[in-house]
Amino acid sequence: MVRLKEVVEAEEGEVYDIELEADLLEANRRLAEKNRELLQRYDVKAIDIMGAIGSGKTSLIEKMVQALTGKYRIAAFKGDLTTTIDAERIERHGAKTVTITTGKECHLDANLVGKALQRLDLKEIDLLLIENVGNLICPAEFPLGADQRAVVVSVTEGPYMVIKHPFIFIDADVVAINKMDLADAMGVDMKKLASDVKRTNPKAKVALTNCRSGEGVKEVIDALQL
Amino acid sequence: MTSLLASCSVLHEFSMTSQIVKNVLDEAKKHNAKKVAEVHLVIGKLTFLGLEQVRFSYKVLTEGSIMENSKLLIETKDGAVKCSSCGYEGNLSTKDDPLYHMPVPTLQCPNCAGTVNIIGGRECLIKSVKLVVK
Repeated sequence: MVRLKEVVEAEEGEVYDIELEADLLEANRRLAEKNRELLQRYDVKAIDIMGAIGSGKTSLIEKMVQALTGKYRIAAFKGDLTTTIDAERIERHGAKTVTITTGKECHLDANLVGKALQRLDLKEIDLLLIENVGNLICPAEFPLGADQRAVVVSVTEGPYMVIKHPFIFIDADVVAINKMDLADAMGVDMKKLASDVKRTNPKAKVALTNCRSGEGVKEVIDALQL
Repeated sequence: MTSLLASCSVLHEFSMTSQIVKNVLDEAKKHNAKKVAEVHLVIGKLTFLGLEQVRFSYKVLTEGSIMENSKLLIETKDGAVKCSSCGYEGNLSTKDDPLYHMPVPTLQCPNCAGTVNIIGGRECLIKSVKLVVK
């Protein structure tokens, strides 16, 4: 991984000054590009779904699988520190699901996704939903090779979640503002959350959802052009 | 919640710094170095790497190795953007929000109504190392 560019011998021959120019984040981005090429070769659309713990990522995926089965042959990757609890929730709906347990790592990376891709017969699927580890910080740093990135943010996280974590929204193509049924109880203005997203990232499409009932999930699917 | 996110964040720096240390030790081995004197990193301001946590992780991870007590230089790099409509190039803009007393980064072009793309500031680069070989 490390490229040796140049060796300069310092005075007295005691110290070597070595230029490395090794970018560790770039290494992940290169692996993400490989994943992207592989998915494109098999004509598989991939969506990276990010969001905080308990924001409703798995519920959104369940409802998307229900709505899109028939139109697409769907597989899912479920990133978690441990357990297959959520993977079983998704698998129930008929999507082939691979759990990626990261152990202690707080995000998925392109290397892990590349390994998980080997577990799938890509000829047999058209749509891959990748659920990232619940976290609003680190996943933004590690592109996985998906076509689009979606973020789920729920009103139960409070009124300032977008403004406090702007960088994950900067990378989002679609943002679902979830748990709309609880907005009044939480005293959270969803329009304000939506305008916070738009202000940080005017390109992001925003949908209001209740991923338990399924309300608004069609808007997310439309925004993702699925 | 706060402590959980904080620990996630330190983990992130810890794993990145482990990779940095591993790369430097590999390089040192190639040159039969006795000691690593200095490591020069470039970290973009649009990464999620906290410099304090990188320094802390570096100290912990290098203890007992030939990198112990080496000098860690960290150069930061601004976020660079380019507008897809008007071609504007510059730093990532921030909008001050009087409601929250904090600048919020935005992809809105400061020059036109278009949106910008990020073209720099996401580096985590080991630029160079100084090795003691004799």
